[in-house]
Amino acid sequence: MADNSHLVTQIRPCDAIPATARLALTLLVIVVSSLIPLEHWPAHGLLLVVVFAGLSLAGVTLGYLARRLMLFLPMLLVFGLSVPITQLHRESAWGWMVSLWLRCTISFLAGLWLIHVLPFPELLATLLRWRCPPLLVAMLAFMYRYIFILWDELARLRQAREARNFGSGSWRRDWVTNAQMIGLLLLRAMERAERTHQAMLARGWDGSPKFLGTEARKGE
Amino acid sequence: MTSLPIPMAIELRGLTFRYPTGRVALDDVRCAIAQGERVAVVGPSGAGKSTLLMHLNGLLPMPSVATDDTVQVFIQSLGVTKGRLRDVRRQIGFLFQDPDDQLFCPTVREDVAFGPLNLGLDQAEVLVRVDQSLIAVGLPEHGPRNPSQLSTGERKRVCLAGVLACDPAMLVLDEPTSNLDPRARRQLLEILRRFPGTQIIATHDLDFALELCPRVLVLDGGKLQADGPVEQVLANPNLMERHGLEVPWRLRAV
Repeated sequence: MADNSHLVTQIRPCDAIPATARLALTLLVIVVSSLIPLEHWPAHGLLLVVVFAGLSLAGVTLGYLARRLMLFLPMLLVFGLSVPITQLHRESAWGWMVSLWLRCTISFLAGLWLIHVLPFPELLATLLRWRCPPLLVAMLAFMYRYIFILWDELARLRQAREARNFGSGSWRRDWVTNAQMIGLLLLRAMERAERTHQAMLARGWDGSPKFLGTEARKGE
Repeated sequence: MTSLPIPMAIELRGLTFRYPTGRVALDDVRCAIAQGERVAVVGPSGAGKSTLLMHLNGLLPMPSVATDDTVQVFIQSLGVTKGRLRDVRRQIGFLFQDPDDQLFCPTVREDVAFGPLNLGLDQAEVLVRVDQSLIAVGLPEHGPRNPSQLSTGERKRVCLAGVLACDPAMLVLDEPTSNLDPRARRQLLEILRRFPGTQIIATHDLDFALELCPRVLVLDGGKLQADGPVEQVLANPNLMERHGLEVPWRLRAV
């Protein structure tokens, strides 16, 4: 089961904002952060403060934020380092790299804010209202559902590995086992996709996604 | 005066199926199931039970060209062919073994609505069916929840609600009691008892079969090995042992 302990149940200031505005606000922050000229530090800083304020008002705890950033930042650091490596002849290469890090971090935090202030079914309903292609919305809905199942599956695989590990694994052996586990997870996901498709066919799926109307979603 | 014969709910005329690996999963299975009958399909793992059920819903590859002479599965006298799949699937509600395979929408309500929406019903009618089905399985308050937050028993019942919402004439259930605790199993039993249509239930749970189904088919190695009254067939120790089964406790001589 997914860890939902960071989710807060009390009424927050951002709950008063309509769902459409929440999504629009997030997209606006992402677009603005992409459009800020490189090395324009005050603008980057201001946007970062805005995003952190939003996260704070949404009740996101520092611990949760740190855990998520720990997952994201290493990838970003490696990605950002490609700038000075490939642009050695430019004087501003290092400044570009930092700008890139800031842009990506702001976008990531904005996305994090959105998933805290807009329940996923409501996000999907908003996308449909915005006339987003139904197939894309259906794919997002499936992803949201199955990400929990795959996570559970991974947890079971880990448990099975730990149960027979006996603390004797070298780091090399651990890497091999991890690679095998990921491969197995992929195979299981493919098998499940096949069975799910059969379950969809059994209930009349004809390839065109259909959704409940807004009225029907009230209360979700 | 002669009355017209009532069409059989399901008719298998020499159903044979081979997987792409070459393994024969079903070999010349022949039987007929009457309207409203409840039939259990039992047998060891790999006997072909799930394959048989999937054929009833046209979920496995079938010959592209089929005449009534070559069709092997008939539902309400309607031969199951590629061109008739939509009509066949309207008749049959299929409950899969693993509820996570069947619950693919972000909320329970949307999942139960999936079938009725695909049937082309209007939103108001869909909502009525969703509410009725959730009430029928005893989960009227669970509509807004994410299926991953439910217990296995609740997930099974939501799956059943999704099937019932399509208003099928018959139910096909693959291992409905697997991973259920006694209370969830009992609840499922009661729901199925209330369903008036034909039911085909593949199960390893012989006590469940005994409680619910007056008739049983024994399948092993893809072949139909026995077909008869449940208390008679399941009480035969030689037959049971030959096909990797056991006589249920209730039928054992004291």
